[in-house]
Amino acid sequence: MRIAVLTKGVPDFREGKVSFDEDGHLERGKTPTVMNPNDKQALRAALQTKVRHGGEVSLMSMGPPGYKEVLQEGMRDVYADDLYLFSDREMGAADTWATAMTLATGIEHLDEEPDLIFAGFKTADGETGHTGPQTNWCFHINEELSDRPLITHVIAMDVDEEAGTVRAKRLVEGDVSEIETIEADLPAFIVTDGEFEPSYRTASQRLTYKDLRAETTQRADEIDLEEDVTVWNHEDLNLDPDFIGLDGSPTIVSGVDPIPKAPSEREAQPVDPSDPEGMGDVLDELAPYAEAD
Amino acid sequence: MPEIDPTEHEIADLSPKINQIEDVEELEAILELEEEGEDRAAVKTVIESRIETLEEEEEEIDPETVDLTELTIADIANMVRDIDDVDILEDLLDREEMGDDRKGAKKQIENRIDSLEGDGDGEATEVEYVPPEEKYPDLDHPTADKQYVEGVAGETYRDMWVYCETQQGNLLDVSKEMLGKARELMDEYNSDGDGDGAYGGDEDGNPEEVVAVVIGSDVEEMAEEAIAYGADRVVYHDDDRLDRFRHNPYTEIYAHMCRDLEADWRDYHEPRYNLFPATNNGRDLSALVQGELDSGLASDCSDLYIESAMISNPAKTGTPGESKKFDRVLHMPRPDFSGFEYSTILCIDKPHRDFHPQGASVIPGTFDLPEPDASREGELVEHDLDLPDEWFQVDVVDFDQLDDGVDLTGNDVIVALGRGIGSEPTEGIELGLDLVNQFEEADLGLSRGVITASYQFGGHVEQYVTLERQIGESGQVVEPDVYIAAGISGAIQHKVGMEESDTIIAINSDPEADIRDFSDYFIEGDLFEVLPKLVDAVETGEFAEAVQEVSDD
Repeated sequence: MRIAVLTKGVPDFREGKVSFDEDGHLERGKTPTVMNPNDKQALRAALQTKVRHGGEVSLMSMGPPGYKEVLQEGMRDVYADDLYLFSDREMGAADTWATAMTLATGIEHLDEEPDLIFAGFKTADGETGHTGPQTNWCFHINEELSDRPLITHVIAMDVDEEAGTVRAKRLVEGDVSEIETIEADLPAFIVTDGEFEPSYRTASQRLTYKDLRAETTQRADEIDLEEDVTVWNHEDLNLDPDFIGLDGSPTIVSGVDPIPKAPSEREAQPVDPSDPEGMGDVLDELAPYAEAD
Repeated sequence: MPEIDPTEHEIADLSPKINQIEDVEELEAILELEEEGEDRAAVKTVIESRIETLEEEEEEIDPETVDLTELTIADIANMVRDIDDVDILEDLLDREEMGDDRKGAKKQIENRIDSLEGDGDGEATEVEYVPPEEKYPDLDHPTADKQYVEGVAGETYRDMWVYCETQQGNLLDVSKEMLGKARELMDEYNSDGDGDGAYGGDEDGNPEEVVAVVIGSDVEEMAEEAIAYGADRVVYHDDDRLDRFRHNPYTEIYAHMCRDLEADWRDYHEPRYNLFPATNNGRDLSALVQGELDSGLASDCSDLYIESAMISNPAKTGTPGESKKFDRVLHMPRPDFSGFEYSTILCIDKPHRDFHPQGASVIPGTFDLPEPDASREGELVEHDLDLPDEWFQVDVVDFDQLDDGVDLTGNDVIVALGRGIGSEPTEGIELGLDLVNQFEEADLGLSRGVITASYQFGGHVEQYVTLERQIGESGQVVEPDVYIAAGISGAIQHKVGMEESDTIIAINSDPEADIRDFSDYFIEGDLFEVLPKLVDAVETGEFAEAVQEVSDD
């Protein structure tokens, strides 16, 4: 099973990591870059597939050279056999459509066409949820590439290798929520939902999982980011600079306004569960609503 | 009387509106209304910070003496726009280099210098077309040949199209909300008023339409309904195989409608604007359709307005340092960066490559649900296209509605469980129910994580694990007297479903869990230990003993 996973580096939005200037604008330079949290679900789906069916997992991203560390993070925290970075000044400031073209071309340049491509739903910074589906549409438009069924918002999946199919559960929202069970042929393109849950049903799967996790963590610790990450620029990919990056992007950002942080946040009283006094305060809050005997 | 009565709006849709107001006096009047009305602290902060921003802007900055390190890049961009003296600009550039030496700041100053030293008449220079193979002779496969690029320029575009998503034989509420907004925008667009969005119709003064699109099985009735909600015309495609949304055929059909020059009611190349709902399926469709049409879009918009825009981005003007005016631009504000900022996105043509239609997806509930007007008249157009079998590569083999029936509102206490129950999910639910049973009026809630995880539950608690108990953005919104959140990390989507609760008690083993920021009590511990203690304590009315017992082990 040949597997490719797409990821992106995003500012670390966790409290204490993220930094804003006094106008409330995000300070990218002072905020560390991490792997987009939702992409870890995509990578977990890839690892589940590898555990069950074997194969190679390639983790890839488009971005500045610093994104090599994002790829390393994915390798360490989840899994990857090899890492690819599409990196070039010309690719900078791309919107989702220009990014999709670059990613699709990068995947096209792999030695072997992947059976499964995974992407996460929405990045923590742009939050569009467009890049995965649009990347797949590039395969659809390009007559030289296989047309892949697209399955999005996947929360659970199984591959039937013999039948060459994938079966997945996906979430549908609307005025009511629904769960669909979907079946499609491989090769396919899967966008995982943030709620994706990998599952390892047998003891041997759990053992393989453990081994692969240990192996990838060690590989990530020993990796030489200069040597071991395959980096392709626009010339390697034969991408016309007019059609990628900012120049190839239909959309631009015309203005950014900080959202004032509402002062309604609460100051939590920390309570140690073994501290009678603190727990007593909690009980005082609950007691008035207790059922009378 | 100010234009906006803040008490009629939620804070989420209020902020972008407030941030567009330029008049301090109007803002003060709005602030007063809020204080007299709902007096929400968060709303007042939004208004006050806008007033502050405007007042700061009004302060005169002397470019020759100002300390550049105190200005943001945006401030510098605003300042240099008013400077016509290249010497002052050169001096600014030197001072920036000596100071913070910010690339973005220097770029702003350099662009201004370029534009002053250029022809400077504000008119766009004609950009000559150079074929890619001449421009980049080293690349042997120009991207333009990859079929991703439509490669048209100067085409005609008209009308605002609205994708009306349906579910189980009904238009979604968000479809109706978008129709109402589209009606409002296009009425203004077609008018001769003096508003920024009034263009008196298209370039020749003819009114443009709101066109609804309905795709599915047995949809004619819904298509008719779209007229009552504001559409001038509805293009619909009916086919049994379209009973459930599928990416490929829906995209092909929508894109074909957009380019269907054989339809006799239209003679334009593609729609001017395309609106979609920001639901799971609507957002996917928006990305695919706009990609197929080689254009762009903004997702999850929280407002929409049409006006002209001065653009100096060389990717759009073709000439660095030049500004060019684009008319009829759909402005698409959206919360960005995990909700830390609002960005306004524009989809703009570049020289020799049109980026139309301008696309947007809209967050459900953003716009008001309009009253249907059964007497409205409009045209129904059935779309004609054979759907080849290979478009249906994806089978929907089964689907379940996660039915609703449990109403969690109106309780004194809600005990909500999150993924913290993951190690022993059945026991977790049991403990939650035990605590619920200690109260007069209480019920069990769940975070989205519990519902979508594939936990194996024991049969006796399985009935409680349903979507109808989900609390949060896509579930129920509750405001009980006491909200107990056990093992819930506190994602923003969860927060919006419970933040109005009077007292919030969080139980979490992770001291850095986000929920700490919006809890009144943060019990740092394992819910499997803490919940039994709470059950005992509420039952007996005291804690001392319970604590004693547990501290023995």
